[in-house]
Amino acid sequence: MSGAQPADTGRAPSLRRVLLVWLLLPMALLVPFTAALIYALALRPALDGLDRALTDTAVALAQIVEVHGDRATLPLSAQTARALQADPVDQVFFAVGDAQGQLLGGLPALLQLGTVLPRGHWRFFEATLAGQPVRVAVHAVGCGLATTQVCTILVAETLGKRQAAQQAVLLAAVAGALLLALPTLALAWLAVSRGMAPLRRAATDVGSRAPHQLAPIDTRAIPGEVVPFVQALNTLFGRLRDAATAQQAFIADAAHQLRTPLAVLRVEAEQALATPHPSALRPVLMRLHAAAERGARLAQQLLVLARAESSATDPACLAKPVDLAQLARDSAPHWLPPSLRAGQDLGFDLAPAWVMGDALLLSELLGNLIHNAIEHAGRGARITVRTGVLDSGALLSVVDDGPGLTDAEHAVVWQRFRRGQAARGTGSGLGLAIVQDIARLHGAHAALGSGDGGRGLRVSVTFPGLVHSPGGAPVAIG
Amino acid sequence: MHVLIVEDDLPLSEAIATAMRERGWRVDVSERGEPVPGSLLKDDYDVLVLDIGLPGIDGLETLRRVREQGSMLPVLMLTARDAVADRVRGLECGADDYLVKPFALSELLARLSAQVRRHDLRRSEVLILSALRFDAAARRAQVAGQPVHLSARECIVLQYLMLKTGCIVARDQLAALVPGWNAGRSDNALELLISRLRAKIEPAGVRLRTIRGLGYLLEPDSPA
Repeated sequence: MSGAQPADTGRAPSLRRVLLVWLLLPMALLVPFTAALIYALALRPALDGLDRALTDTAVALAQIVEVHGDRATLPLSAQTARALQADPVDQVFFAVGDAQGQLLGGLPALLQLGTVLPRGHWRFFEATLAGQPVRVAVHAVGCGLATTQVCTILVAETLGKRQAAQQAVLLAAVAGALLLALPTLALAWLAVSRGMAPLRRAATDVGSRAPHQLAPIDTRAIPGEVVPFVQALNTLFGRLRDAATAQQAFIADAAHQLRTPLAVLRVEAEQALATPHPSALRPVLMRLHAAAERGARLAQQLLVLARAESSATDPACLAKPVDLAQLARDSAPHWLPPSLRAGQDLGFDLAPAWVMGDALLLSELLGNLIHNAIEHAGRGARITVRTGVLDSGALLSVVDDGPGLTDAEHAVVWQRFRRGQAARGTGSGLGLAIVQDIARLHGAHAALGSGDGGRGLRVSVTFPGLVHSPGGAPVAIG
Repeated sequence: MHVLIVEDDLPLSEAIATAMRERGWRVDVSERGEPVPGSLLKDDYDVLVLDIGLPGIDGLETLRRVREQGSMLPVLMLTARDAVADRVRGLECGADDYLVKPFALSELLARLSAQVRRHDLRRSEVLILSALRFDAAARRAQVAGQPVHLSARECIVLQYLMLKTGCIVARDQLAALVPGWNAGRSDNALELLISRLRAKIEPAGVRLRTIRGLGYLLEPDSPA
């Protein structure tokens, strides 16, 4: 089936690709969404912590504010101020204003950003201070007896820690989401491979079959989802089997039906030749007789081909021990008369050679070899049928000392309905094709060579493996 | 020779019957198997040609009934199916020979003649083939009426070959007949004996052929 690969264009996308695409698309949306969610959830506590640190400074400043009557002061030493503003990352600013909005200490610009809050309340906001973005905490603390007397404490710091926290959380969120997504894709890839493995095995099994092997695929190892497909395939196999059987039955039946009329034709032609007749009729009768002989042989060969085909689908037919030597002995009475008529010396050199096979098909194989030799070796030729056992297996050969084959003929004689150029007589052109079909069916190898002493033609069929005779005695090496 | 042909295909039975009558044989034809056992009792046939595929009872059943009534008549079966099983069943049912359609007329006639000859030879004291006469009991042979001297071994071999006229007789089979010979060692001696015998009997219009690698075949010079 090489060369039958469908072109890549126009092929449905692979199952793996479809699965991955359907996984990738939601992933592309889910990963940013998940990352954003993680980011949002994790960032809040981090920023809240930083805000709380700002309030700590504000609370500390509130403790420093002193109230004398209506006046509030901020007795802040330079040392304390430095301590309050100490931070390894950010710049910290503060401002404290009294109820009237007068600056008690700190940065005047910061106080401008303050808003009036009820006593004890907090607020955080972002602002820009001296050109720098800052986070500001505003704290309204009581500074006097009246509840309306509220001092405002503002603490601001640049965004270094916050930005660092944002980056860290973002990284963690993205990494977390990807850590989940990438292995999922990889696992999907693996799962497809593993899931498809039984299908690939089934495909290899079907792919490695011989054309006539139409047994159903075993669905036990096939994943449930694919079973309907495989069952459909099995149904198709079944139909092919039925069609093949019907065709073989038809050929066999047709060949059988042909036999009786062909027998009449043969008998009549032979009888006509034997009866006194005008000499002008003789060539006609000869041709008629030859045609009848040829038709008879063709019907027989078609029948054998049909049988060979059906044996191919039913290996049990080929599993009986057969002695090639006995086959040759049995065939001798049939082939001696025509070879004697052709003035040939048909001889036998037979040693026991057991093979597993179908006796009728093997005898047809032998018959074709002998018939070919009788037809093509010419008058007076010496034809020898040999059987025996070599170290590798049984051997059957028919050797003649006739004209042999030219190189060009060697190449084509195995094809059906092709005959050697010098072909004459009653050959149908099926002979060697049948020999090869039957040999292949038995796992045997048919080969052409030259006869003894380099003259003539040798057709040999080698059967692999040694088969013991049914009696169990090891077969003599011939 | 008197032949009964049982064949339902009229063109075929007609063709065979005509060819046989041309050769001076007497021929009767039946299309069915049922009347055959009765016909064999009424008429004295030499050989029966029996098709396996018949309407009504088939050829094998007909043959079984024929053998049941004790007839030893030589029977040649015709079959359109060459399944080995058909052949085996035919021979088991008591057929003497079988032919697969489409057969050659000459082969049919030769096999029938051989069957009849063998049948007759088994019954008679004197074996006859063409112009060769062999009196087995007296161990005397005549070619065209002239006595021919045969050695004791030649007599044994000739008797066996004549009983098996038309059949290939294996070397070992022949060698085993001759006292003091054992198979394998006697190939040359047997070949020598056969060529002496051949020279003596072939003038009688018979052929004693050597089938290389198998054995020997005695037949009339030009098969009927």
